Amino acid sequence: MTQGARVNALDDIRPAESPRPAFAHASEEELARILDFYEVRWEYEPHVFPILWNLDGAVLESFAPDFYLPDLDLYVELTTLKQSLVRKKNRKLRRLRELYPEVRIKLFYGRDFRALMLKYGKVGLVNELSGTPGQTTPTMQPESVEPNLQASQRPGVDASIGRPVAGKAPGPVVAERPRRRAPASPAPSVVGRPPRAARSRLAARRRTVTDG
Amino acid sequence: MAERVATEVDLLADVGEILLDEETIQARVAELGRQISAAYGGRQLTLVSVLKGSLPFMADLMRHITIPLRIDLMEVSSYGGTATESSGLVRILKDLSSSIEAADVLLVEDIIDTGLTLNYLLRYLRGKNPASLRICTLLDKPARRLVEIPVDYIGFTIPDQFVVGYGLDYGELYRNLRFVGVLRPEVYSS
Repeated sequence: MTQGARVNALDDIRPAESPRPAFAHASEEELARILDFYEVRWEYEPHVFPILWNLDGAVLESFAPDFYLPDLDLYVELTTLKQSLVRKKNRKLRRLRELYPEVRIKLFYGRDFRALMLKYGKVGLVNELSGTPGQTTPTMQPESVEPNLQASQRPGVDASIGRPVAGKAPGPVVAERPRRRAPASPAPSVVGRPPRAARSRLAARRRTVTDG
Repeated sequence: MAERVATEVDLLADVGEILLDEETIQARVAELGRQISAAYGGRQLTLVSVLKGSLPFMADLMRHITIPLRIDLMEVSSYGGTATESSGLVRILKDLSSSIEAADVLLVEDIIDTGLTLNYLLRYLRGKNPASLRICTLLDKPARRLVEIPVDYIGFTIPDQFVVGYGLDYGELYRNLRFVGVLRPEVYSS
């Protein structure tokens, strides 16, 4: 079967009643719809990257990008909230890039998301989705008009999609992140060690403390 | 509410800044035509235009290409369109009219920003087994890129602004402007 035929076959697949993740923000749900529309596979918060440890190696702070796009090996983080939170997120992102330079991540600011909505003629959604806590609410639309399946959950699509991809997850994963509501999909569960660079820095800090 | 009917005067007034004037566009399109003619010399070139935005660019570009070529047209649904939202999936609204198997295909786009549509189209066209598949875009807006795709021919790299004209629309209007301009924010925020 050619790829073109496969794409056409997907046209006939309709959303079913499988649950979507519990998105923390309505803008994330909208981005998921856009990715579904263009058949870009995604995973919601599949990996959590520790970014700060105490001297005993316990994780003090971590960062879980909103989306991972396995085909593109790209993380996407949406930031549509107020400026103080954007600054905090920028700091976390800088830390992530220092510790995990191999991780490709794209940060979508509020203005980026507004431009995306404008491009798709959904200007009215902008005020609803950005600048507010934006908690998702149960949809009031008929089930049939909502693309309720991730690409990974559609029949005929690789069943491995939707789980962290072996060899792609560049860093350790911890179990919890306090800010987010727990997603409906299986939570990330692997606990790992800090990356080599972080371990080196940690060891250096320990030496400094010991020497001091 | 009655649908707004924009006059020619409205169209011009809605543009806050001319980013690329007609002369600049035409000069660059001619240059692209020369580059493409040189690159594809002796090969069977098929230009595939993605409707609707790339129509003016395609029409001008093909007349600056000096080697024999064929053209074809495609149209895919865009996210947010009322006619397509019920499916939740992108659809091919107009498919190629002839085979591109073993052909050297140059996909002609008006603008690349997120890369989502282009990514979909490339996957679709690769399934038709062309000999080669390259991309030519009039405008590139890298600040918006989500899907990184190597682009072979770029007319202009533009800043992160909402642009209309020379095929690009807002609400299906402004495509007939002969230049590329930045739409006033009050037009889409009102």
